[in-house]
Amino acid sequence: MQHLAHVTPLDGHAAAAAIEVTDLDHVYANHDAEVAALADISFLVEAGRFVVIVGPSGCGKSTLLMILAGLRHATGGTVRCDGEPIARPDPHRVGVVFQEASLFPWLTALDNIEFPLVLRHVPREDRRRRALTMLELVGLAGFGEKYPHELSGGMKQRVSIARGLVQDPPVLLMDEPFAALDEQTRMTMGHELLRIWDETRKTILFVTHSLTEAVYLADEVLVMSARPGRIVDRIDITLARPRSYEMMATETFGRLRDRIWRQIRAAP
Amino acid sequence: MTRLSPAAARWLIVAVVLALWELLPRLGLVAELFLPSLSSTVAVTVADWPEYAQNLLVTLYEVALAMVFACGAGILAGSLIGGVALLRNLLLPVFSSLYAVPIVILYPIFTAWFGIGSESKIVFAATYGFFPVTLATAAGIRTIDPQLLIVARSMNASLSQQITRVIVPASIPTVLAGLRLGGALTIVGVVVSEMLTSAAGIGYLVTRYRTVLDSAHVFAAVIMILLLTVVFDALVRFIERRTAVWQSAGRISRASLREVVAQPAPALG
Amino acid sequence: MTGRQIVLARLGLLALVLAAWEALPRLEIVNPRLFPPLGEVLRVLAEILARADVQAGVAVTAGEVAVAFGLAVPLGALIGVAVAENDYLGRVFKPLFFFVFSVPKSIFLPMFILVFGIGFSQKVAFGIFSALFIVIMSATAAVESVRAEHVLVARSCGATRWQILTQVYMPSMLPILLETLRISMIFTLTGVILAEMYASRTGVGSLIGNWGENFMMRQLFAGVLLLALIAILINESVRLLEARCSTWRT
Repeated sequence: MQHLAHVTPLDGHAAAAAIEVTDLDHVYANHDAEVAALADISFLVEAGRFVVIVGPSGCGKSTLLMILAGLRHATGGTVRCDGEPIARPDPHRVGVVFQEASLFPWLTALDNIEFPLVLRHVPREDRRRRALTMLELVGLAGFGEKYPHELSGGMKQRVSIARGLVQDPPVLLMDEPFAALDEQTRMTMGHELLRIWDETRKTILFVTHSLTEAVYLADEVLVMSARPGRIVDRIDITLARPRSYEMMATETFGRLRDRIWRQIRAAP
Repeated sequence: MTRLSPAAARWLIVAVVLALWELLPRLGLVAELFLPSLSSTVAVTVADWPEYAQNLLVTLYEVALAMVFACGAGILAGSLIGGVALLRNLLLPVFSSLYAVPIVILYPIFTAWFGIGSESKIVFAATYGFFPVTLATAAGIRTIDPQLLIVARSMNASLSQQITRVIVPASIPTVLAGLRLGGALTIVGVVVSEMLTSAAGIGYLVTRYRTVLDSAHVFAAVIMILLLTVVFDALVRFIERRTAVWQSAGRISRASLREVVAQPAPALG
Repeated sequence: MTGRQIVLARLGLLALVLAAWEALPRLEIVNPRLFPPLGEVLRVLAEILARADVQAGVAVTAGEVAVAFGLAVPLGALIGVAVAENDYLGRVFKPLFFFVFSVPKSIFLPMFILVFGIGFSQKVAFGIFSALFIVIMSATAAVESVRAEHVLVARSCGATRWQILTQVYMPSMLPILLETLRISMIFTLTGVILAEMYASRTGVGSLIGNWGENFMMRQLFAGVLLLALIAILINESVRLLEARCSTWRT
């Protein structure tokens, strides 16, 4: 299987990039009141790292991701990718995978993966080639002509991941991508994601509710407080790579999970 | 400028329309022929009320009979077609294809057969209302949760109990919706056929006054028909709300089903 | 029953109905003067189709339907989209449209005659009036059926507004749009035919009315049959198109 680093990028690009968030605030108007969704968020994600953001419901983690994706503008502070501000959605710099796979039901799996390339008027041959490469990368070779309603939940998410990666962005944002899957599929998909990350070495920013998932996947976990969301803790995950299921039974794993849980419960 | 609430905006629109209705003809901006003023319409209604009332009764009589046939036959046919898989697969697509045909073209046939009296109107309107009631009932029968029947059978409910205690109550919402639609179309069927060829009924009045270009009388009659459909619609919706004890169509909670089946069977049992 | 058996059963049913149509009048079980046998009707149908005045009538009706349809659909679509896109307009007008929609339009026909007379414009105007509101409501429903998540995904892929319109809205709305076209065609046709039957000197509807008044039953049946067949043909063709474009709909 062709290693992604050898695929000709759309134009010269580093394989991974750093994300820098400085003094991020976000306030939005809700009926007549103003709601502070995020406050004073600053962090740095180094290139090639797998960082997980964990926090209680409503803490604004999805809002944070929207801002990082360029889909929303923060009311204060800056967000940069490799030094350049993120002003609008650009799948060539930042790929996004949502919780609902949200594949277009009228397109096949391959067409869905090609979609960002179609928007950029990439010639058909190149599109096909890249999409097929992505399809293989996520382990769905042969399923390209299936429609979303013919695919299982896990398979749909794989297509969604392939779509996020098709333009070879240095950064991949993932907003609770496995939340809608059953537990067994979640575990498999987590493992798969680590394999894909290992092959492509992108910078991944992954949002989740699940503490287990956070510890299992991450190099580093950022814990957010309830609204207004702030980063209350940074935890280095000291488990060795490659991760294995057996690690979930170790004491270290339990301690790390515990630490996250205590932080979430303690935060006001 | 602060925005009006949607409801207020709607009332404003209605008020403006009514005002225009009165003013445009009065100020001569629109010919009285096209748009008789609101006041003149009301005036003729009051003045000629006996004539209107008499013809309205004829119409109501025809509507009532047509509705009995349309809804009765429609519910029966719909239940059979919807309930019996064989009939459903065979006939349902046929019925929905036929629905595309403008039924009004059958009216001259009915007048040729039954004359221009009430009979042809009743037959025509019954036919007009029959199809939508059938289609709606057939569709509605399908929404009844088959699980309910399984639960009832597991409680040893007899066939008649299953029908009266489960199927009938579960299908009431969709049947009512079908009746609302079919009833409205029955009214339209009667009125339209009266407008086409008739010697009595509110539709006949419309045509008679139209041919002498008496707009005020025409408008009055049309408004009356409008009110008739609105009242009927409101009535059925009221009944629907009263019987909609359960939220989604055809679903009864398990607990109440147990109580219901446990009660003594009706005389038909 | 398999699909094949069902089709055969339906054909059998059709054959039965046609046979009854032929046999019952011929055997005088029903009065053949009031209910002409199928053979007669078909023969007369061929005759009338060859007549210039009937052909003219069909042309007139077709023209009225085409113009009414051609005006009602864009107008209704525009209004429907505007109501769906603008939240305020939507909240003000949707209940109004709903109300107007639930009122049968046929009863307003005499008013149209008062205003427009009994010519081409009256029938077109009434045809537009008959179909307009269903187009508005369907257009609104079509726009609202586009899932917000899909729009978000497209945006995250860097789509421009035009691309979102063509790559997300259009394919998403296509099945409903086709259904709208089909139903509005039915409404337009019904409206025009009614207007012709009620007060017109041209068009298929008026021909049918005339034949009825003059007890020319065979011509009447032939005309009714012709119209029914045309309506069914149009309906089924668009249905087929809908089915082909909606394979992905759950």
